[in-house]
Amino acid sequence: MAAGEAGMNKIAIKLASSIFVLFFLLCAIGPSMAQTLSYADAIEQLAGACGGDLRKYCRGVELGGGHLKACLDANQARMSGSCQQARMLVYASIARRAAAQRDIGDICSADIARLCGTSHADAHLVECLLSVSPAAIGPACNQAFTDTGWRTERAQQ
Amino acid sequence: MIKHQIYAVSALILSVALTVAFADTRLSSGQITNSLAGVSDNSRLDLTAAQMRQAVMDNIQNYPGAIPPHPLTFPQLANLAQFTVEINFDFNSAAIRPESYRDVGAIADALHNPILLGYGFLVIGHTDSVGGRQYNVGLSQRRAEAIVAALIDPFAVNPAVLQPVGMGEEQLQDPAHPTSGVNRRVQLINVGKKFCFGRSGEQFQCQ
Repeated sequence: MAAGEAGMNKIAIKLASSIFVLFFLLCAIGPSMAQTLSYADAIEQLAGACGGDLRKYCRGVELGGGHLKACLDANQARMSGSCQQARMLVYASIARRAAAQRDIGDICSADIARLCGTSHADAHLVECLLSVSPAAIGPACNQAFTDTGWRTERAQQ
Repeated sequence: MIKHQIYAVSALILSVALTVAFADTRLSSGQITNSLAGVSDNSRLDLTAAQMRQAVMDNIQNYPGAIPPHPLTFPQLANLAQFTVEINFDFNSAAIRPESYRDVGAIADALHNPILLGYGFLVIGHTDSVGGRQYNVGLSQRRAEAIVAALIDPFAVNPAVLQPVGMGEEQLQDPAHPTSGVNRRVQLINVGKKFCFGRSGEQFQCQ
């Protein structure tokens, strides 16, 4: 093997591994930008990124009642960079999905009245919003519907 | 050089395949939603959480022993849509272990599915037979409450639709192996439609 070719090989491997890493970063980050994470994926990402920190600083702390978040907040300066980043992304995603699921009836009220004939954020609303083209509903309603996760969750069943 | 590129591409395909295989073995919110959705009818359940707690106490008093000689049953619940999941807690504690966070999140995803909107759910905690029966009732009650607390915050499930009940070891999943891990579980039961939500989130009684 010529020296030049070996060099090329190294570059090719580096390039391939960079693309590889980029691909997985995009997979991980992409959905949290465009849409919200499911609660399962969100909290799993937190448990994964903060595993060591949780064992060190939040052992025995309850997930519920705001206790885990309070522990993460109180110890954030000592947490790893990846845990700090996950903490912000994950809680923001959970809050955005929860707000969308809570408020979609209000945000979409005009579209619902026009297209769906219902005033309730129920299963019928989801069926209706799925059946119409995204272009037919307002952008705020469309974004809220995406943020609820119901578009994709419904499709997975 | 082509060889190396082939390696890189195969590694990529392999890791994607592994990710997919791994994802398939995990609990999905769709499974939970489907199990909880097939409710038989919307008639009002003739059994309160308080009556269930009393029945647990009566079972301990009426049938004493290290391991319950007489398993407690609730015929009213037998035909209701339900789902059982193993959640890991710290020993003798109500703190959910991080490896179970995902499953609690998946329960929340299911309970937020509009198909289940307005239904009420019993969240029943069960222990194995290690420890006293009376103690285990308290431990499982605290664990059921911890699940409910996590579903409410951070996962924003409406508190009004959740009712925690501690069953202790009075309903062992595997009575032949009373200390087995399969006995330590959380059971969700759909008890029917109790609430409806207006578009501003206001609640009213359905029907």
